[in-house]
Amino acid sequence: MDMDDALLDPFKRLLERISTAQMVRASESAGEVASWVEIDGSGFVDALVPEAAGGVGLSLADVVPLLLAAGGALLPVALGETMVARALVARAGKALPVTTPVLLWPADQEGRPRSLIAPALAGATHAFVQQGKQASVRPLMQGDAAPDGFGIVAARLDPTAAPLLVVELPEDALFAWAAALTAATMAGAMARVLEMTMAHVNDRQQFGRPLGKFQAIQQQMSMLAEAVAMADVAARIGLTGRQDAPSRLDAAIAKTVADESATTVCAIAHAAHGAIGITREHDLSLYVRRLKRWQLSFGSAAGWSRIVGEARLVETGNSVDFIRAMRHD
Amino acid sequence: MAGLLDSFSHADIPAGAEALRPQVKAFLAEQMAGRPADARARSWSGFDADFSRAVAARGWLGLTLPREYGGGGADAFSRFVLVEEFLAAGAPVAAHWIGDRQSGPLLLHYGTEAQRRHYLPRMCAGEIFFCIGMSEPNAGSDLASVRTRAIGGEDGWTLNGQKIWTTYAHKSHYMIALVRTSGTSDDRQKGLSQFIIDLSLPGIDIRPIVDLTGDSHFNEVFFDDVHLPADALVGQEGAGWAQVNAELAFERSGPERIYSSIVLLDCWADHLRGVPDAHAGLAVLGRLLARMAVLREMSIAVTARLAAGESPVIEAALIKDIGTALEQEIPVAIAEALAAHPEVPVTDELLRTLAFVSQVAPAYSLRGGTREILRGMIARGLGLR
Repeated sequence: MDMDDALLDPFKRLLERISTAQMVRASESAGEVASWVEIDGSGFVDALVPEAAGGVGLSLADVVPLLLAAGGALLPVALGETMVARALVARAGKALPVTTPVLLWPADQEGRPRSLIAPALAGATHAFVQQGKQASVRPLMQGDAAPDGFGIVAARLDPTAAPLLVVELPEDALFAWAAALTAATMAGAMARVLEMTMAHVNDRQQFGRPLGKFQAIQQQMSMLAEAVAMADVAARIGLTGRQDAPSRLDAAIAKTVADESATTVCAIAHAAHGAIGITREHDLSLYVRRLKRWQLSFGSAAGWSRIVGEARLVETGNSVDFIRAMRHD
Repeated sequence: MAGLLDSFSHADIPAGAEALRPQVKAFLAEQMAGRPADARARSWSGFDADFSRAVAARGWLGLTLPREYGGGGADAFSRFVLVEEFLAAGAPVAAHWIGDRQSGPLLLHYGTEAQRRHYLPRMCAGEIFFCIGMSEPNAGSDLASVRTRAIGGEDGWTLNGQKIWTTYAHKSHYMIALVRTSGTSDDRQKGLSQFIIDLSLPGIDIRPIVDLTGDSHFNEVFFDDVHLPADALVGQEGAGWAQVNAELAFERSGPERIYSSIVLLDCWADHLRGVPDAHAGLAVLGRLLARMAVLREMSIAVTARLAAGESPVIEAALIKDIGTALEQEIPVAIAEALAAHPEVPVTDELLRTLAFVSQVAPAYSLRGGTREILRGMIARGLGLR
């Protein structure tokens, strides 16, 4: 067993207990997750907090497999986000004043969220809000809220509450973090959609043989696998381009490719599943619903890719020079 | 499937290989000065024997072949760096491309010691160029149905038949061909063998075919009772199919499957610098580059597998399919973006480059295995076939 498995295997066992399809379903409307205490007790939430500050002191590369696995299980609570919030606050020499789940909340200069759609509330009590270079921990509204068009209860900042803690962050830091985390979650979910769709086309018989034996389906499945592989590699680029934080351009690559892949993955998965895939009862809907929602979260392919295009024009060399510089800056 | 994703795990180009990059850049800056973008965009199909000999003089032909055969004794990563820089600059690599990329490694792996000593040093010196005889009029994607036949006799082989789409046969010295040595085309993969054919032999007729841009790079090649010496056989008689497939694994995952349209992309990026408020164009540029960055990461990961002695055939097919789709999307996206703004002047050089790439781009997903063949291979890797 290598280092990765030593970390990943117990985490996967945890996910099997606390992120079943039934629990994922229940979290959508309830906006509340019962299993946080168990997750927090597992120590994973402090994975990125330096050892000197009482954390586990893992590198970002170490936790990427965990984030992908959490995405694959549609873990209905903001584990990655809380992990990052705790680490960033710890690096500033402070500690998060709450032990409950915390959402990342990049805001623009006017204080508006840099996301068309707010993250799912899913048991979170606070948000880590960045405006300019200032990041603060602020309470979220609790209580009755109507689910959004996806049937999911979105988080809302409490406008009246004072911030609990303020730290300095580089400009755009939380925006890059939120986009890169979302891309990793999406990549994990898409890998699981590939598995589900493979199982379906091997199982489902039409015209006397499994769907997967038809060349037309095989070609579609290859495209599905390609989109998943691209998203997986892009997600890893997003989170591991630098040692300690995603750069703006790494996050841009990750979210752009995750968004593009999600369109292909959802379309092919639905085509292969046929009518059963558009029922509420089938688990595919859990995945597609979230993938569509994440495409609306923290910038889109069009928005992020413009940042890449602008950066390209600043580079005087050719596009290979640009890509290399982007990966090593 | 998890296995498929694991095989693209991150790899770094070692510092030793990266050390080659500045030397290659300096060489190209000198060699490529003054070549317009529409000439550079032909990179793969640009035949320039002088350029290839200059590359050889630097010791960069047969970079991965052992030094005892005239090669550079370097690893797959060094070759990645070299090829990446050549393609990014649009260097005219066609003369040495096939020999360097396929025939050299093939002869190293399957050739006899005498064959290696006879061909490889001259190939590495840029003295002899190679072409590949695979496709036939009735055997394109269905390569196993080749009919060109070599019949063994006491003093060698007699070759009859026809190859087609043979790139630069008219300017090459040797062809490595896949032909039938036993059975019939109904026997499929069985009974196929590879031969190295001296194209100056009597009985060989090479007729160029003009492509849709007016360029002439591929050919029909006819063999009429061509006498081949016994040592023209490469590897084992009857093992040609396995040998060809090993060869294709090397061919499908490299930077050449990502960068075929990069000269056009960079020419367009230069154009965008002069356009105020090119927001839509910048987003398109960024999208293409984001995908290119991910593909480069995947290609380096597969290079690491090749360097470790593995043969990642499925992964290579996957990269080629995604890579050629990107290469083909580039001219489409640029044409749309430019034509949407007729009020913005465009240089003749950019338009010529666009016209060339737009017309040849369909070949990207034909050469080296069609899109449909590759997706069939991926489906097999997924366990569906």
